[in-house]
Amino acid sequence: MDQLKGFTFTPQQLRMYGIIGSVVGIYLTVGLNVLTGTKLFSFIGSIAALFAVLWGANAIRRICSYGLGTGVPAMGMLCTGMGCVAAVFGLNLAGRFGIEWAGVIITLIYAAIFGYVVGVLCNKVMKFNIPIMEEGLTDGAAACTMAILAWSVTISGSLSYNAIIADVYNTGFLALIFILGGMALFHPFNANLGPDEKQDRTLIDGMMVGGLAMIGVGICSLVTLGLAPAMLTIVVGFAIWYYFYIWYFRLTTRDAAAVVGTGLLPPSAL
Amino acid sequence: MSMTFDINTLVYMLEIVVGSLLVSVGVHFVPVGGAPAAMAQATGIGTGTVTLAAGSGLTGLLSAGLMMSVTDNIWPILATGAVGSMIMMDATMLTGDFIYSYAVGCPYASAKVNYDPITMFPQPPYVAPGTVGQGIPTVCFVSGTIGALLGGVGGAMIYYPCMQISGNPAQSAIFALGIFFVQSVIPSWNIQGTIEGFHDPKFKKWPLAFKASLIAGILLAIMTVLIQPLGGA
Repeated sequence: MDQLKGFTFTPQQLRMYGIIGSVVGIYLTVGLNVLTGTKLFSFIGSIAALFAVLWGANAIRRICSYGLGTGVPAMGMLCTGMGCVAAVFGLNLAGRFGIEWAGVIITLIYAAIFGYVVGVLCNKVMKFNIPIMEEGLTDGAAACTMAILAWSVTISGSLSYNAIIADVYNTGFLALIFILGGMALFHPFNANLGPDEKQDRTLIDGMMVGGLAMIGVGICSLVTLGLAPAMLTIVVGFAIWYYFYIWYFRLTTRDAAAVVGTGLLPPSAL
Repeated sequence: MSMTFDINTLVYMLEIVVGSLLVSVGVHFVPVGGAPAAMAQATGIGTGTVTLAAGSGLTGLLSAGLMMSVTDNIWPILATGAVGSMIMMDATMLTGDFIYSYAVGCPYASAKVNYDPITMFPQPPYVAPGTVGQGIPTVCFVSGTIGALLGGVGGAMIYYPCMQISGNPAQSAIFALGIFFVQSVIPSWNIQGTIEGFHDPKFKKWPLAFKASLIAGILLAIMTVLIQPLGGA
């Protein structure tokens, strides 16, 4: 077990995986749903969100390791808060121009611009002087927005503005995506930070919480999509959570100084 | 494609930006103590800015939304939002003070000033060695109430135009909350997570957050006013 090999990714690699994984995943979800005329493939949306989680969790990890004074969740909340507006902005604009498929791209670009501008404001106006602030916030904002959009697609099974508003916003499920998704993005670094923080452990934690979020989103889609697609999301989400939970457990034991079994309560306490 | 861009759109944008700025300035008034305050080792409420902003913002939105279901007049809506937010913040501070007083057993003292600017009580004798104050003294309580007032008015002022544009309470509430979160994180980065209130030296930094929030608010307002209901909903 102590021979477990870790991995390291550069931010550029993760950005590439995040953008390609989430965009292709969302299109794949909607495409397969339309082709087969069912909603069964909605669960792919949540898998697309996992790519965005990897990308976003790494961005938050990079910025927050500088120490912002506030907790790690603050940055996650900034990005997800903006993502809630940006996710429907792209879809709405695309819907009005009659090019519904382009909504994802518009959302991605606007979110990235917003993140970059806030990063510049932090460095130039509020004098943070963190060299990767612009880059990190661009990544963070874009990744959080894509994750929110991908989870929304899992719940609605479609990429049209009206369907997302009716199934995700009006039902209030967005609040759940907001918190569960935010957890997947900011919890990893919040839980693993410290002098021995390692990228692979943090990111695997993110994937684990992403699996949990997928179960939550699946339960929500029971109402909007019906039993079969929702159960598929829940089962796949459980499998993802279990796989990464075991992986995360092994990474934790790898990084721990020692793992000691304490047994149950001592006999005198019983 | 129908793009309606008229004087109303500009008014909506202006309302969102002004609301954003009120939230941003309001955060500087709230005595946020963070984790040290939760252990009674610093003055303020023992939690982070984002949690407090979410609490008071949500309460403000709920009360503003309730008033909006009765009237379209902006003034009672703003006032209700402010009162809801203030009640939440005051209840939090009062309960926090009960715990500091009766459970932890510490006197309320500010470490940033020698005399409480409101009661004129001396502070240093009551600050425990090794800490930077405890509890929520009078000046912090008053400051927090002012902060909640600004935040509540700001939140309602963001919610109102969202509701005018979309006519959809769920969507408007989520948009208002999203903008509220952005505008509370930016100033909390500016104060580096903790502040005691308007008497804290860090309070003088508010123009920096004001500028940053202004630009972020404009970007958010552009998105919000451009999202218009599509046919067939």
